[in-house]
Amino acid sequence: MSDLDTPLRPPGARRGRRTSTSPRLFGLLMFSPFFAVFAFAIVAPVLYAVYLSLFQDRLIGGSVFVGLRNYGQALEDPQLRAGLERVGVFLLIQVPIMLGLALLAALAVDSGRLRWPAVFRIGLFIPYAVPAVVAALMWGYMYGPQFGLIHQAGAKLGAQTPDLLSSSWALASIGNITTWEFVGYNMLILYAALQTVPHELYEAAAMDGAGEIRKALSIKIPGLRRALLLTTIFSIIGSFQLFNEPNVLQTLAPGVISTSYTPNMYAYNLAFNGQQFTYAASIAMILGGVTAVVAYTVQLRANRGERTR
Amino acid sequence: MLFRSSRGTGRKALAAVPAALALALTAACGSSSGGTPAASSKDALNAPVTLTFWSWAPAIAPTVKLFEQSHPDIKINLVNAGQSATEYTKLATAMKGGGAPDVAQIEYYALPQFVLSKQVADLTPYGAAALQPQYTKSAWAQVAINGGIYGYPQDTGPLVMFYRTDVFKKLGLNPPATWAEYQADAAKIHQADPTKYIGSIDPADAGGMNSLLWQAGGTPFRTTNSTTVTTNLSDDAANKVTTLWTSLIQQKQVNVTAGWTGDWWKAMGAGTYATWIAGAWAPGVIASTIPQSQADWAAAPVPQWTAGTYVSAENGGSSVAVMANSPHKAAAAAFAQWLDTDPTATQALTANGLFPATTAVLNSDAFQNASIAALGGQQANKVFADSSAHVAAGWQYLPFQVYANSVYGDTVGHAETAGTSLLDGLAAWKKQIDAYAGQEGFKVGNS
Repeated sequence: MSDLDTPLRPPGARRGRRTSTSPRLFGLLMFSPFFAVFAFAIVAPVLYAVYLSLFQDRLIGGSVFVGLRNYGQALEDPQLRAGLERVGVFLLIQVPIMLGLALLAALAVDSGRLRWPAVFRIGLFIPYAVPAVVAALMWGYMYGPQFGLIHQAGAKLGAQTPDLLSSSWALASIGNITTWEFVGYNMLILYAALQTVPHELYEAAAMDGAGEIRKALSIKIPGLRRALLLTTIFSIIGSFQLFNEPNVLQTLAPGVISTSYTPNMYAYNLAFNGQQFTYAASIAMILGGVTAVVAYTVQLRANRGERTR
Repeated sequence: MLFRSSRGTGRKALAAVPAALALALTAACGSSSGGTPAASSKDALNAPVTLTFWSWAPAIAPTVKLFEQSHPDIKINLVNAGQSATEYTKLATAMKGGGAPDVAQIEYYALPQFVLSKQVADLTPYGAAALQPQYTKSAWAQVAINGGIYGYPQDTGPLVMFYRTDVFKKLGLNPPATWAEYQADAAKIHQADPTKYIGSIDPADAGGMNSLLWQAGGTPFRTTNSTTVTTNLSDDAANKVTTLWTSLIQQKQVNVTAGWTGDWWKAMGAGTYATWIAGAWAPGVIASTIPQSQADWAAAPVPQWTAGTYVSAENGGSSVAVMANSPHKAAAAAFAQWLDTDPTATQALTANGLFPATTAVLNSDAFQNASIAALGGQQANKVFADSSAHVAAGWQYLPFQVYANSVYGDTVGHAETAGTSLLDGLAAWKKQIDAYAGQEGFKVGNS
């Protein structure tokens, strides 16, 4: 790609009077609105959270500078560790399922074998337009153990449905909601990436007698490498940030979904129910760090894989 | 929330929360007040001023209108800043960052927290002490904290047992008068129809458990010298209550399920649960949420541990407090006093569904003889007033009860859901409470 990015310039054009200053200024000017919002909405709150995390504010005794003590406490906090492990499990199981479904859907839409591809595409995408809280409420309503839709449908068919909000099913039920929400979104990213695969490749493959499945395996999926990496990284971040769905379902299953079910819920409850903003800030920083490390590791490995190919 | 943010930190949790929280069901309860005219502090209401008042009780708006009619100089800016814990979060934040109201509705369980952090004003300088005789003992005890008076009781929730007359009649049973009878009836009801239970227990309802402990004579939370917190969740009361409920849960004679959800209300409307142990605010909720079952409900005293005695407790209820940094404290105190003592106000609050905290309304013939449509026309206020008169004295809340209640589901609620010993659940709860108390700089007392 990088070869193509270098614009073709007539020889000698660089010697013109309008050297780099003015375009650079122009670039900065174009960049500044983004930078202002970025600084205000991202950099400042993160710095503030770092600052907060170095203090301890107690009901008796007030605010004291404690250095990194909050971080020490957080690293040994069994509730934080349990939350991280839970989202880790979630990541390892839910993300491959969701991305697999998204890939299948993208390939199906792209294959040209569907009758109404646009309807199919929009239909899959619509759940993404539903706010996460509303989606969780809606699914929670269906999961209800007595009058929920799923239980009632099961009862009509004479089937015993499990309690989908019990401790053994809750994480799977949450995974189902997030899958429902985000399959369409990922499908769209993958589908868009498929549009950039040169058509000549398909024609050549067809000449060689390749069917749709062969084309998918040998041309499309390899061509989706970068898009798949992108969706994987988004999904890793999303998994670690898991909050809305368990938080909404908690009202339905408070004895199963604890206040520290995910690291984000833990930080939230410490801050707003416990007024421990400073400790919550250190948990947020640790969570951010863990997410960055995992996402970066995945990216690094993927890139190395690409280079050695 | 998957994929939506590519920002690495947990800041998002802070931003995404209010909507989720507002939607999360906080089962808080209304109730009411009554009384005689407030003679003192009237002067404070003669200068023009605008007061901001945070409250979520639906009965408040019409009452505030009455106030503005009789006090044309005072404007009340009534704001619904969310219900219960949602409001307290905003209130605590606004007290630090600005934008706090002059007057706020605060439930009794949360009031000590605001007293400890000096965020609510002592109303003694505004003549509050003189009003004590107008309120029920149990209501007053919940606003008189550490020698000060930090709010006017707006409504209370004397604990009673609501029960389904249809279910009990069909089985030829009387409503249980003791917990032993309650347990016996529980077995009969579930045996007669396995889809029915004598009641449900909500794994998130710390307030409900507190009321049960209170009614069993327990005083699990003690604060001494404002800085020593002692929690005892293994006393006689805790043992009695947990033995009963652990057994009921393990025999599947009560259903463990989150309360106030769509699923639960459907079951309540359908008669799945034969009783509901709750505060006197419940009829208002029955009327608005499951009106189709109004004819089938009635109220009876809460079952007793010892036959022939009557010990009750409170469940819910709110005070109206004046915020410590209000620039109009005198006017705010006078308004709060009017709202919770003036007969016009207390009658309006009661008429709009709050259960009175003032003896004047509570003992009035009109109130006592009123027939409650949500309870099949029963003159249930007599039952409620009787309960109110028998509330056990000496109960205290923790100075951080909002946090303690928030982790109840993780501990006791977890034991309820898993069907394990509730006494162990209470022990786990105590452990969390003690740990938090230590982190927050309290001395942790030995129980």
